[in-house]
Amino acid sequence: MTTDPRLRGIAAELDAGLIARREFLRKSAILTGGTAAGLAVLRGMASAQPKTKLRVWLFKSYVTGGNDILAKHVEAWAKERNVEPEFDWATFGDREQKFVAAIEAGNPPDVAEMNYQGPMRYKAALRDETKLAKDLAAARGGLLPYAARVVQFNGQYFGIARLAFGGGLHVRKDVLAEKGLKLPKVYDPDVIEVAKKCQDPSKDIWGFGQTLNRCDDGNGFMQNILWDYGGGAWDKDGKPALATSNLKANMAALQFAVDTIQKHKIQPPGVMGWNDASNNEAYMAGKLVSTNNGASLYYAMGAKKHPLFEKTQVILTPGGPAGSFVFAGAYNWGVFQKSRYHELAEDMIRWVEDEKRFEEYMKACSGQAGPVYKSRAEHPYWKSDPNYEGMLQNIMRSVWPGYPGPISPAAIEVQAQYMLCDMAGRMVTAGLSLEAALKEAHGRVEEVYKIRGGK
Amino acid sequence: MATVAQLPVERARAPRPRAGLRRRLGADWHLGYLFVLPMAIMVIALVAYPFCYAAYLSLTRKYVGVPPVFVGFENYVRLAYDGFFRRAVWNSFVFTFASVGVKLVLGMVMALVLTSRIRYSLFTGLLLIPWVAPTVVSALNFLWIFDASLGVLNYLLVKVFRILPQGVGWLSEAGTAMASVIFVNVWRGFPFFGISFLAGLKAIPGELYEAASVDGANIVQRFRHVTLPSLRNIIIVVMLLSTIWTFNDFAIVYILTKGGPGGATQVLPVFTYEMAFGAQRLGEAIAVALYMLPALAMVIIVLSRYMRRSHAR
Repeated sequence: MTTDPRLRGIAAELDAGLIARREFLRKSAILTGGTAAGLAVLRGMASAQPKTKLRVWLFKSYVTGGNDILAKHVEAWAKERNVEPEFDWATFGDREQKFVAAIEAGNPPDVAEMNYQGPMRYKAALRDETKLAKDLAAARGGLLPYAARVVQFNGQYFGIARLAFGGGLHVRKDVLAEKGLKLPKVYDPDVIEVAKKCQDPSKDIWGFGQTLNRCDDGNGFMQNILWDYGGGAWDKDGKPALATSNLKANMAALQFAVDTIQKHKIQPPGVMGWNDASNNEAYMAGKLVSTNNGASLYYAMGAKKHPLFEKTQVILTPGGPAGSFVFAGAYNWGVFQKSRYHELAEDMIRWVEDEKRFEEYMKACSGQAGPVYKSRAEHPYWKSDPNYEGMLQNIMRSVWPGYPGPISPAAIEVQAQYMLCDMAGRMVTAGLSLEAALKEAHGRVEEVYKIRGGK
Repeated sequence: MATVAQLPVERARAPRPRAGLRRRLGADWHLGYLFVLPMAIMVIALVAYPFCYAAYLSLTRKYVGVPPVFVGFENYVRLAYDGFFRRAVWNSFVFTFASVGVKLVLGMVMALVLTSRIRYSLFTGLLLIPWVAPTVVSALNFLWIFDASLGVLNYLLVKVFRILPQGVGWLSEAGTAMASVIFVNVWRGFPFFGISFLAGLKAIPGELYEAASVDGANIVQRFRHVTLPSLRNIIIVVMLLSTIWTFNDFAIVYILTKGGPGGATQVLPVFTYEMAFGAQRLGEAIAVALYMLPALAMVIIVLSRYMRRSHAR
């Protein structure tokens, strides 16, 4: 133990009889008291120093339990590092708008949770985080292929993969059991047959609920169904192929999508006016036998103790003649170039991506926090509920926008402008022929491809 | 005091127009510039500069986070050939003129009813609610009302009054979707017409109506020859404002249909928004916005000329 040399000095003076005992006590009291007071002042000054502020943008998903856990993790990190986090939450409806405004104003956050569009669209404003992304991936068995496509371009990582939204076909297993029907595996004929046998239009109960309208649900379905039939908007080289090399397959896929409404009549009358929330509401109101949706629907039913929670089976999204494809909804972290605290931002990412913390988050998300790393796909959590198994399998076979070509700005823009939904919408509501709708959409896709410089 | 006939002579005698202006402004005319300066700075900073910069950006290829590249009129030319843009232009005119037309009629009816024997201030207050309520709240309510499966409108039509055998997809068919967004715009906007006309009606001297009655004019003739001419300027101003507001209305269409289904209700403000934040082609988005200017300018010029002419009479 060290002693103050001044105390040692007066102790020596006392021993030598140079000062009286009372004088020793007085001096030692002044010394120790003064030191303690000084330390207290210094401590006060240190705590009065302004903390570093880190601007963190998080995504506010419908799975509110997960949002709370993520915020808790960031707050715990901030406390540990003596940082003041400035949270801002972006939703499905305002995320891209906020990014555009902040980047153009030269005032982006330090770190943000982005969706699959982020790394490609904002890479001019994002830091190259290759080292961190590779470190995290290496420690987790590597990135799953679809996630690797979304976050890195030409070997540079502009996003650090975090999770993928799980989901699948939500089916009323009680209704199917009552009718003695098996779960559908492909859209045609399984989904059509199941829907026709289970629905009762006179009671406003419909077999299948899947909008083709301008929203993320419509976009995802249209993209998937084109792939399921062996088509798609792009070819292997990333060139537009709606009405060229993929024409035949796309015709079959588009015809099927429109037929679910017009010919088979397995969808509710107003389905072309739906938005992303409409099928959730209709399903929870008992108006649908099956609908494609993210895990948020399953979560919402569980959180509300909805009677349909126990009666719902989430299964693999049905496929078509060419297989079953699912559009990847990979989420990731982006660190912005303008950030003065990129090292702190990277430290925060390491903290929240820690496996124990991610596990806590994943368990609160009811299947929505799907794996982007190989080791996370093997977590026993995915076997804890039969419905999670379907969600996991959907994620494992995800493909990226632009598939089978590379992910590209043009492919992202075609998604963002709902061009595939418009293609179906023009057939259903404007009476365009199959060929005319495909040709019109192809023209739009080609225009975007040209504007984006053939990329 | 100079008569009207003398004025041209005075102008001809003036040695220099500037000197004449100074004489009229007085000896301390320099102060005038000083007083105008703050407003001029504000107009330049808040209106002229952003407008000019926007006009410049519309001539560039501008993506998020990267500097703009000058491309001349390429954006405007491309848009002219874009079928979805042309449809948005057409839809904007349909949406605007149908809405303003119906609001004009309903507003007039509202004003006439409120000036007739039914002078209940309660009704005036109630009829103002749509105008006072925030647009987003109104639009979200109508989104629920129009919902084909769970909406109250179909419930009333099918289950309660049994008028229809099956619900209508109000927002899922091209025709009904456009009618629905127009309806919401009318619902929200007609009280403005009504309250403005009501103010105008109260300013019309009662003697005019009495004189017309003495001359044997019936109620329709009194409306046509007394009420309408007296309200002419108010009607023009209200229509002018409403045309501009409706043409630029974004919230109602975006919330109800997002321009769908299949672009059937796509209007220029929503198209601009999607170009900016969906496509993230900022130069083209501004070009779309600036495409609206000539149409709006035309409306303003026509209506204000008409108003000046009626003043001259």
